[in-house]
Amino acid sequence: MEQVKCYMPQTLQEALEIRNETHATILAGGSDLMVSKSMGAGITPAFSGPVMLIAGVKELKGIRALPDGSVEIGALTTSAEISRSELVHPLLRDAASRMGAIALRNSATIGGNIGNASPKGDMPQPLILLDAMVVLKSIDSERTIKVDDYILGSKKTALSDNEIITKVILPPQNFTHIFFRKIGMRRANAISKLTLSAAAVVKDGIVVDFRASSGAAGPKVARSRAAEEMLIGKTLQELPEVKDAFLDAWNNVISPHAMPEYRRNSTRRMLAYFIDALAAGHPEGRVD
Amino acid sequence: MSVTKIGDRVKRVDAVQKARGEAKYVCDMTFDDMQYAYMVRSTVPRGKILNIHLPELPEGYYFISAKDIPAKNELWMIAKDWRCFAEDYVLYVGETIGLVVGPDRGVLKDLKSKIVIDYEEQIPAVSIDDGINCVGGPMFPEKNSNVMCELFCEKGKPMDEVFAEADEVFEETITTPYQEHVHLETNSAIATYEDGKFVFYASAQCPFYIRKSIAGLLDIPYGDIIIRQATTGGAFGGKEHFPDVLCGALLVAENVIRKPIKMVFDREEDTQFSVKRHPSKCIYKTAIKDGKITGVYGHIYYNCGAYLSSSYVVLQRGVFHANGVYTFPNTYLKGEGIGTNTFPTCAFRGFGAPQTLFAIETHMDHIARHLGVDPLDFKKQYLCKQGDETTTNGHIIEEVKLPEMLDVITKESDYYRKVKEYTPGCGKGIGIAIYNHGGAFTGNGEQAIIKAHSRLVKKGDRVTILVGSTEMGQGFKTSLRKICAATLGISIDDVDYPDPDTSKVVDSGPTAASRSTMIVGKLVERAAQQMKERWDEGDFDVEVEYEHPEGYPWDQATFRGDAYLGYGWGVACVEVEVDKLTNEVKTTGIWSSHEIGKAIDELIVHGQINGGIIQSLGYGSMEKLENRKGFFRQKSMSDYVIPTSMDFPKQFYHIQENPYPWGPYGAKGMGELVFNGASAAFVDAVERAFNTKFNSIPIPPEDIEEALKNVQ
Repeated sequence: MEQVKCYMPQTLQEALEIRNETHATILAGGSDLMVSKSMGAGITPAFSGPVMLIAGVKELKGIRALPDGSVEIGALTTSAEISRSELVHPLLRDAASRMGAIALRNSATIGGNIGNASPKGDMPQPLILLDAMVVLKSIDSERTIKVDDYILGSKKTALSDNEIITKVILPPQNFTHIFFRKIGMRRANAISKLTLSAAAVVKDGIVVDFRASSGAAGPKVARSRAAEEMLIGKTLQELPEVKDAFLDAWNNVISPHAMPEYRRNSTRRMLAYFIDALAAGHPEGRVD
Repeated sequence: MSVTKIGDRVKRVDAVQKARGEAKYVCDMTFDDMQYAYMVRSTVPRGKILNIHLPELPEGYYFISAKDIPAKNELWMIAKDWRCFAEDYVLYVGETIGLVVGPDRGVLKDLKSKIVIDYEEQIPAVSIDDGINCVGGPMFPEKNSNVMCELFCEKGKPMDEVFAEADEVFEETITTPYQEHVHLETNSAIATYEDGKFVFYASAQCPFYIRKSIAGLLDIPYGDIIIRQATTGGAFGGKEHFPDVLCGALLVAENVIRKPIKMVFDREEDTQFSVKRHPSKCIYKTAIKDGKITGVYGHIYYNCGAYLSSSYVVLQRGVFHANGVYTFPNTYLKGEGIGTNTFPTCAFRGFGAPQTLFAIETHMDHIARHLGVDPLDFKKQYLCKQGDETTTNGHIIEEVKLPEMLDVITKESDYYRKVKEYTPGCGKGIGIAIYNHGGAFTGNGEQAIIKAHSRLVKKGDRVTILVGSTEMGQGFKTSLRKICAATLGISIDDVDYPDPDTSKVVDSGPTAASRSTMIVGKLVERAAQQMKERWDEGDFDVEVEYEHPEGYPWDQATFRGDAYLGYGWGVACVEVEVDKLTNEVKTTGIWSSHEIGKAIDELIVHGQINGGIIQSLGYGSMEKLENRKGFFRQKSMSDYVIPTSMDFPKQFYHIQENPYPWGPYGAKGMGELVFNGASAAFVDAVERAFNTKFNSIPIPPEDIEEALKNVQ
């Protein structure tokens, strides 16, 4: 058994230097890595290279409102903190509150959840719907990209080997209607079988914005702006006419392998329900 | 200290120690010069072993296999077919081929990963149908079949006559799945060599079973092996025979190495490579004339896996419960245990009864709906009564209190109002199931096979119970100390009941079959009565042996007679609300009534009811364990899910008294009974809510989708 180096930086600067020099694997809450690298009780987990325990970096913690109405979430903010924060959009709070068990929510972080890029991860799905951005920092640069562009596929991301996820930024939203469902194998502490978020802005009887995203639907979260465009600009009266075409388009977006009949059909039923509710003039707020 | 009475509410004697984390489980125990062991297992479901390529073993590291067995390579459970280490051929994925043993677990895992085994693979039989059809060739060539064990029992007229006279024959096939025990503590054991004896510390239900099972590997007397039960964190039947598999392999290693060796399964190992509940396929053909059942034919298949373990006994119990709680004029019930190339199935809470009870209850519901009558009203016509002839040509010995229990449950749940209000398919449903469980070993097995003993030792004012029965989380230490103290008229705090050590206690039989309170409790009550009479004689021991009541014949060769002297009886009612967007089912109400003779400790009984019903609802709703090509698809607790407290609501429970003449203070068995019915009540409720029909469990949302598709 080869020993690996383990770093415990206390500042972001220190962490960026270590990352730059060693390309160490970043371990935040450890709720994914310590499971995937586990060798069993009494045996050191099998990391193939150096590891950086980043939990001590205080700069990466906490949730702040920005002057432009955006909300900044530090990469080391836990699911539990996100689920409790009034600043955070309800769709992300819902997803964070349904992740794993209490102990896991107290350790798992948003940076880890998107960094791991598991198809069954809970937070990427609402983040992609919300057009959230992720900030990636290295010793000599910083870039801000959409979470949707950051996650490339199952366990694949755009993170360079000298970068660290520092924060996630939620742009302001003014949805009039939102819908969220997580279908797990049981009601709590379960990996998602299927998640769906949908959101709309209805103004003066017209659908000004419409979005949906399906989680656990394939190698990455499924969202289709082309499908969404089919509903945007329509009046509520026109929704029933375009509904089926939208549902068919959505059905084509989700992965054929990951979405066998049940997932496909229930996704369709949920989206149909949401659209029907909009068409029927559902009061503003949650439609679920 | 105050005298303990049976009716007292006492604190569980092991509660504080366990809640504080002070109880020592096998994984907590350490010894000087401790060695560790991992199993090297078959990775193919069926095949010949051609070569085993070992990496170079560093000094102090061993590969132990069949070549290290000085005597016979067999574990003696009920038969002697289970090999301690596979040699020449393998019969299932996970079969033990060897152990790697040494001081460092990291080094051992690395060595294990470098062992290469060449196989000549053969086509496995995996499912019951594969086994029936001898896929890959018969497992028992001498019989040209895969049937491991079989039995039948018949009552009344021949079925072909009954069918010929019937207006119609309602036929259907109902299947039930594997189930994993998910005991909180995984399987584990330590072997040591102390003062010339092989000593084991094991997480186990039946210390005496282990000793008997493994002694033949070295051909040594039982007395050279000592089994000490360690605190056991749950078992549910999964530690009835399976600890033999760990301890047998460890004994062979210990004989070579003579240092303490510890083996603790990881959760993933325990999920994939331990015994399971038998999957079943139950074919029922029910003759109906003038709207009434005139006869029931049942053909029951259980998937036994590759070795017999306890399967024949499990199958017998399945067949004896296959008519449910009903008296039908004519029955023919046949059971076949099918061998397959899968991990052997063994004991699991209910021991064969839950499968057939689920099947008959669901079958009765389906017949009722077919006839257009309420399932409960339909079932009520056939409830068995005291004196009725059973399917084994014996009799129901006790008074059956099911009508009273149904009154309580239909009233508490408001069943009849809800049945009217919830029209089929409306999204809400209520279901009900009625069930029983024969207490203790079948027939005269307690006398013919077990001959249980109990011993009490008095020293000053303290009394020690020396029996082989084990605490595994079910509360037996509390119950037994309570029985002993109440009978002697002393405090429960003045009674000791140490974890059994086979060199110190008498054999009170296995901790299984819901027999502990009913049989061992009675033995301790009798011993305590004798001790009380002689209380002033100073320090002395009392030992008693089991005595079978006269006048209840049983013939184990033909399976005729009184199969059980006392049954526990149960009624469970479940109400659900379904989400038609996602097919998610929310259980909104649970009501149950159980007749267990007498509750020795209501708190413990309540815990058993809550746990048993939730476990049964998990079995019916979400616990999916599938075997594909010999491999379990679900490998851990994240893909094999069991219910949490969020999944089911608070339960209403009712305990029906009906003192049993041969049990302590009138008590009967109850640990398994409470598992036997809720799954059928759940499925009944879901069928009504969706207006559909299920012929298999579990029914997670995707299976409901499938069932709804078939209806349309």
